[in-house]
Amino acid sequence: MTASPLLSVSALRKSFGGIHALDGVSFELEPGEVHALVGENGAGKSTLIKVLSGVHMFDAGDITLDGASYRPASPHAAKLAGIQVVHQEFNLLNDLSVAENISIEAMPKTRLGLLDRAEMNRRARAALDAIGLSDVDVTTPVRQLGIAHRQLIEIARALQSESRILILDEPTATLTERETERLFEIVAGIKAKGVTVVFVSHHLEEVFGICDRVTVFRNGETITTQHITDVTPADVVRFMVGRTLEEAQHGSTEMHPGAGTALSVDGLRTTANPTGTPVSFELRRGEILGIAGLVGAGRTEVLRAIFGADAKLGGTVYLEGQPVQINGPRDAIAAGIGFVTEDRKEEGLILDMPISANSSLVDLGAVSRRGLLNFGKEREMAARGGARLKLKYGKLSDPAASLSGGNQQKVVLAKWLAKTPKVLLLDEPTRGVDVGAKAEIYGILRDLVAQGMSMIVVSSELPELITLCDRIMVMAGQEIQGTLARPDYSQERILHLAYGQTQTEERIPA
Amino acid sequence: MSAVDTTPQSPEKTRMSIRSVINNAGIGIALLLMILFFSVASEHFLSANNITNILTQITINLVLAVGMTFVILIGGIDLSVGSVMAFAAVVAGKAITLPGLGATELIILAVLAGVLAGMVCGILNGVVSAYWSLPSFIITLGMLNIARGAALQISGAQTIYSFPFAFEEFGSMLIYGVPVVFLVALALVVIAWFVLNRTVFGRLIYGIGNNEEAVRLAGHPVFWYKVAAFSICGLTAGIAAIIYMARLNISSPIAGIGFELNAIAAVIIGGTSLSGGRGSVIGTLLGAFIIGVLANGLILIGLSDFVRQMITGLVIVIAVILDHYRAKYSAS
Repeated sequence: MTASPLLSVSALRKSFGGIHALDGVSFELEPGEVHALVGENGAGKSTLIKVLSGVHMFDAGDITLDGASYRPASPHAAKLAGIQVVHQEFNLLNDLSVAENISIEAMPKTRLGLLDRAEMNRRARAALDAIGLSDVDVTTPVRQLGIAHRQLIEIARALQSESRILILDEPTATLTERETERLFEIVAGIKAKGVTVVFVSHHLEEVFGICDRVTVFRNGETITTQHITDVTPADVVRFMVGRTLEEAQHGSTEMHPGAGTALSVDGLRTTANPTGTPVSFELRRGEILGIAGLVGAGRTEVLRAIFGADAKLGGTVYLEGQPVQINGPRDAIAAGIGFVTEDRKEEGLILDMPISANSSLVDLGAVSRRGLLNFGKEREMAARGGARLKLKYGKLSDPAASLSGGNQQKVVLAKWLAKTPKVLLLDEPTRGVDVGAKAEIYGILRDLVAQGMSMIVVSSELPELITLCDRIMVMAGQEIQGTLARPDYSQERILHLAYGQTQTEERIPA
Repeated sequence: MSAVDTTPQSPEKTRMSIRSVINNAGIGIALLLMILFFSVASEHFLSANNITNILTQITINLVLAVGMTFVILIGGIDLSVGSVMAFAAVVAGKAITLPGLGATELIILAVLAGVLAGMVCGILNGVVSAYWSLPSFIITLGMLNIARGAALQISGAQTIYSFPFAFEEFGSMLIYGVPVVFLVALALVVIAWFVLNRTVFGRLIYGIGNNEEAVRLAGHPVFWYKVAAFSICGLTAGIAAIIYMARLNISSPIAGIGFELNAIAAVIIGGTSLSGGRGSVIGTLLGAFIIGVLANGLILIGLSDFVRQMITGLVIVIAVILDHYRAKYSAS
C-alpha cells in the first residue's frame, strides 16, 4: 500500500434537482486491488459509478486518475481513460453473435471499408480466452447463451480494450452460486494482470470473499474505507445503517392489537419463485405489516400476486378467514383489496387525464348510471377524496401530471380509498415524495388503520417501515427470512436478515 | 390545457368539449383558411353543387375514420377497413340480390348482413391482437388480405348490381342540398362523440390509450374494451359498405383499396395521437373535411390529381409534426 493511488476521489458532490445524490464522497483505489462499494439502495453507489463512467458530470469535488485531473465528459471519454463498466442490466444485442457484440464499439474494417469478419472473430476469441471462456463459440448468437455467459461476455467486452479500472455493478445479481464462483475466478485472474476491479454488491459474503478493501456509502456520503481483514460483516452493516438514525426513528407509533385476521396467504408461489420456499403469512385486522428486503428480494412480486396483477404458480389467499379466488385485479377489488403500486407514472395514474377522472378510476360505478358518466358526482367524489387527504391542487380538471409527486401519490391513494378496501397493499408509498408530504401520508395511513383498515407496506426505506409498521417481515431471494415485532426493531437486525443469505436462486434484477 | 376552465359554472361538464374545441381550433382555422383560399381561387368552389359534391365525397372516408378513431385512441391501428368494407359490400350485395323477397325485406337483410360482416372482421382483429398482445398493425394487415380474398371468392370476382330502386334512391337523396348519406356520417360522429366523452366506456378507451396498466389494475377488463374498439371499427366499415353500395348502385370486390390510409390520415390530421390516449372525433370530422376540401379544391384550381396526392401527403406529415409539439407541451 505504499504505491500512490491509481484513482482518488475527494469530497465529490452531485445533485439532481434538490436531491443530493452524492454529498461528500471520498475514497482511493490502489492499483491492482479489488475494491468493494457497499451501501443501501440510494446510498450513492450507482451515481458514483455514473460519474466515473462519464454518464453524469459532478458538481463539486475532485477526481484524479494517475495524478492527473479526471473529468470525463462522455462514456467514450471514460473508456479512453481506461475505465470500463459492466452494468447490472445487460447491454448486449441479443440477435448478434458473441463476436459482433464484443467488437461493437470498434468494428474491424478491411481496406475497402467492409466488415473484417475474420479479424473480428479473432479478436473476440482472444478476448474470451483472456477470461478463460474457451468453451464459447464466438459465432453463437447471444440469445442462445445463458445469463451467466452473457454477463461474462460483457466482462470480456469491457476488458478487450485497454482497461485499468473495471467496475462491476452487482455482477452476481442474476447468477447461481456456481456461476458466481466462476466469475470470482475470472476476477482473480483480472486482478493478477494488474487491473483494478471495483465491485458493487449487496452480498456481504461475496465482498468478504474476493475484495481487498471495502468502502461504505450512506446517504450519499462515504462513511469509511477499511481493509477487509480489519472488519467483520457485522461491522460493515453497522456502518451502512448508522447508529444515530436508528435511535431517532424508534417507537413513534403504538401497537394496534389486531383482533382477528384480515388477510392471510398460504403457500404463495410467485412466478419469480418457482422452486424456493413459498410465502405464507398473516395480516391482522387493523395492522400495518411491513415487508423489508433488497431490490429484487421478491416483495413487489408478492403484492402483485396477492392482487392478481400477475399470475401466481400456487397458493391461497384468505380474506377474513374465507379463501378467495383471485384471477385478476377485478376479483381482488371485488373482494375488498386495494393496491397502491410502486410506480405511479407507469401503473398508478393516467397522467394526461384530470385529477377527477383519476380519482374515480377504481369506482366508476359510483359516478355513473347505466354507463353514463355523471360529471357532477365525479367532481364531488374527487373533491371529497381531495379534502380527506389534504390534496393541494388548482382545479379538479387539471391533468394529474400537473401535481407534485406527493400530491400525485395522494390522488392514487384517493382512487383506492374511494371503494373503502378492507386491505390496502402499498408498494413504496412515499417514493419520490418530499418530507412534508411523507409525514402527511403516514398520518393518513395511521388514521385509516385506526378506522379498521389493514395494510401491507413494502418499502426500501427502513426508517419508514420502522415508523409505520406493527410488524416487519424481511424477504430475500423470494423467501421470507424472518418477521420482527416492534420491540425487536433495529435497522441492523432487518439488514442482517435482508443481506445474510446465500443466494442460490436466480433473481430478477432491479 | 391551462386555458380551459374560464367558464365559472360547472366547469367539469363543459370541460371535455371546451378542451376538444381548443385542441381542434388549430385544425379548424387551417380548414377555414383552406376554404377561404379555394373560394377566392375558384369561383365554382362555393357553389351549391360543389358543396354537395364535397359532402358526398368525404362521406365514406368520414364513416371509416369515426371507427378508426376508437382504434387509434387505444393505441392500435386498423389497416383492414378498406378490404373489410369490400367484404361487407359483397356480403350485403349477395343478400340484396336474393330472389323471391320484397324490396323492404331485401334492404333490411342487406344492411344487417353488411354491418354484421364488418363487425365480425373487427371482432376477429380485436380478439387476436388483444388476446396475444400482438401489434394490431400486423394482425389487421393479415385481415386486409383475408377480407379482400374473401370478397373476391364470394363474389367470384364479379361486380354485383341491380339493387332495389328505394336503396339507390337513398344513396342519392338530398335534403336542402345535403346528401342524406352525409347526414348518416354526421350522426355517427355525434354518437361517437357522446360515447367517447359521456360514458364510462369512452373514458376507459382514452384511459387504455394513456396508461393501459393503470386501467387494468383498477379492475377494468381491458381485453374487452380493446375488442370493442376494433368491433366498432369493423361496424363502421360495414356501414361504409352500405353507403358505398347505395351511392354507386353496385357492389364490387375491389372497392375500397387504399381507403384505410385515407381514414388513418383523417384521424391523424384531426389531431389524434398515433400512440393513443389523446384526440377527439370532432378532430376526425375536421380532418376528413381537410382531406376532402383539398382534393376538391386542388382539382378545381387546375392541379393534377398527382399533385393533389403529393399535397395530401404533405399535410399528413405536417399534422404529425404538429402533434409531436402538442404532446411535448401537454407533458410539460
